[in-house]
Amino acid sequence: MTLRIPDDFVPQLLAGMALNFQIAAVALLVGLALGGLLGLARLSGGFLGGCATSLIGLMRAAPTFVVMFFLLNIIPPNATLLGVNVAPSGFMTVALSLVPYSASYVADNGAEALKQMRAGSPLGALLFLPNVTRAFFVLVMSSSAGAAIGVTEGIAVILREAEQMPALGDKLVLFAIGILAFGIALQAGFALVRALQRHLGRLALRDRQG
Amino acid sequence: MRLRFRLVAALATWFVFAIQTTARAETPDAALTGLLDAARSAASVPGTCAQPDLDRLVRIFCDGKIRVGVREYYPLFGTRDGQTRSGYDVDVARAVAGRLGVEPAFTRVNAASRIPLLADDKIDLTIATMGHNAQRDGQVRFVRPHYYQSESTIVGSKALPIRGWPDVAGRTICVTIGNGSNAQIVSHNARLMLFDEAGVLPDRLKDETCALAAQDDSFFADYFTQPDFAARFDQKFGFAQVPWGMAVALTGSDRLARALDFMSQIFHRDGVFLAIAKENHVGTGFLERQQQVWSRPGCNTDAGSGNPACVLPALDTALEPTPFAGRVAAFEAWVKAHAGIALQLPMFETMPAWQLFKAGIANSLVLVAGALGATFVFSLILGATQSSRSFMIRWPSRGLTVALQSSPVVLTLVIAAAVAQAIFAYSSTVAIGAAIVALGLMNGSNAGQAIAEAMQTLRAERGSASIPTLDLLGRAVSRSATQIVSFLINAAKGTPIASFIGAPELLSALTDITSFASGRVSTYSLLLVFYVAVVIVVVWLCGRLRDALERRQAVP
Repeated sequence: MTLRIPDDFVPQLLAGMALNFQIAAVALLVGLALGGLLGLARLSGGFLGGCATSLIGLMRAAPTFVVMFFLLNIIPPNATLLGVNVAPSGFMTVALSLVPYSASYVADNGAEALKQMRAGSPLGALLFLPNVTRAFFVLVMSSSAGAAIGVTEGIAVILREAEQMPALGDKLVLFAIGILAFGIALQAGFALVRALQRHLGRLALRDRQG
Repeated sequence: MRLRFRLVAALATWFVFAIQTTARAETPDAALTGLLDAARSAASVPGTCAQPDLDRLVRIFCDGKIRVGVREYYPLFGTRDGQTRSGYDVDVARAVAGRLGVEPAFTRVNAASRIPLLADDKIDLTIATMGHNAQRDGQVRFVRPHYYQSESTIVGSKALPIRGWPDVAGRTICVTIGNGSNAQIVSHNARLMLFDEAGVLPDRLKDETCALAAQDDSFFADYFTQPDFAARFDQKFGFAQVPWGMAVALTGSDRLARALDFMSQIFHRDGVFLAIAKENHVGTGFLERQQQVWSRPGCNTDAGSGNPACVLPALDTALEPTPFAGRVAAFEAWVKAHAGIALQLPMFETMPAWQLFKAGIANSLVLVAGALGATFVFSLILGATQSSRSFMIRWPSRGLTVALQSSPVVLTLVIAAAVAQAIFAYSSTVAIGAAIVALGLMNGSNAGQAIAEAMQTLRAERGSASIPTLDLLGRAVSRSATQIVSFLINAAKGTPIASFIGAPELLSALTDITSFASGRVSTYSLLLVFYVAVVIVVVWLCGRLRDALERRQAVP
């Protein structure tokens, strides 16, 4: 087995993975805004709270891949708003398809953080930060769905290269490189989450001792 | 005697005349000349040209020009640069006008306007890359024989070993929405990546977003004249041949259509079409075959264009309607009238779409059930192996879990599909099976980790030596019920991604349906509702499972 990987594969893979991180960042930012509003609305109770609860439930149940194809097909490519083209690019379509997940996650965890805050535990509320960081890395991994609609993120780069390889063994080596690349990013992310949690734990301990 | 001689002479003269007349009528050339002469004569009679509802052939001679609809942005066939028009269709129009002895007056048409402009009498003739299908026979009169034939062609990198349909199964092919050949691609187990415009396909091939693209060969013809494109890509194989027809209006064009029939026969026989094609660098295979056909004595007659042995049939693209298509159409009309919503439900209107839709729903449900079952089974296996006291069992299991957690879902699915295809021949069942295993492994590894962690806590609390292993595993499952349930829900939510490896679930089926039918908004809205409903049901069922497991945990 003589595996030949083009010289530009690694730079392309890294550029693709950077796109995964960018998609996740956009999805998380929109999710923070939308999820924050929905979380507050839910806590307010009444009719508005009921609507927010239902909406969060639906968003939680919406499969990302289906949402992506839904957005791709219901927004015309020449859609305009006040004369401005608002049709999302492939990148934005993937990011927006992740918003139902990120917004519902933020709404759930944000509500929990607010409860902790009201219960007099600001450190408990700060657990929101590692939770959001964890969600960010879930979003990075989920953004690989973009390969299905032609977004050249990390997995698309790997699959594009694998398409040219006839032997299964060569493909598996290439896939292993992909798993390693994403695995390093993911494990680094989870290490960050654990570090954040430890830091918050130490703060909590110091607070209690103080 | 003189009388007999004169009678014989008269009969001989009539016989010679009859033979000459018959011989003249048997060639398309003679028939065309007769037809054109008669029309010219009619046009030369004072007052004729002022008459309303004038036959179009006569009017062409009255005006001294023929109005031809041609395309302006179809490379190699109809393009315009300032006042200069060029392309195969344009040159055919010039040849037609030249044979009539009039000037061509060009009008720009596109796919949407080429038929209405004929019906509105804005043009006399359209030569605009128009495929002749049976549905269009009710809208225009096509000139026979056809002046060109295109086919759908699959284009890809030269390195890809694709020779026919068996080689495309399981691969993704980039296509344009609404292309009539999409249904044929789908039937060979290829996946579709849809684009709105054909113009983006060459770019997507170049940037390697698409490994393969399918489109009309006349569209790619221009790109293959570009050295860099031709160096990287080639045409793998062709399918779905469509004859192209010049067309005139259905009414008032009988003699014009007949004249064009004869002219088209002559142009094929004499290689006029072929020469024009060569000048414009378009494919000539069809025209070379047609030249042979129209040179045959049986076809080279004035009745040749009506001879089924000589002319090609119109393409029949009509899809069989469902038994309830009428009621669906009535419902769509009712919704439009009462709610103002242009609801379209293509999956209920034609039999191919209906079959795909039913199979898509059934496969989706199988996939969801399979993914849930596989997740639970793998969680037990990986939970048990990760808790094993044997290093040889525990660490490979943990390594597998870390690898599965580190692999994006799409990549895991592709790996599962690649391995499955190396073992089994590609089929829908294999794709569904591979997806079930991949989704089960991904979510089961996470749930298994939770079970293993629960096992650790149980051992720490109770002392493992006193508890039988199976009983301990059962208690660990109960303790990690919330985690297991959350990964079961995740597995159900992940099932649509199986379409990426060709599993024919509902997303895949609806993508196929919308590739050859309209109603994308309604279709994808229905898809979203279906999957949200399925996940909500799974959440409810998993909630009951969690309650049962937690009750079990509560039992001492």
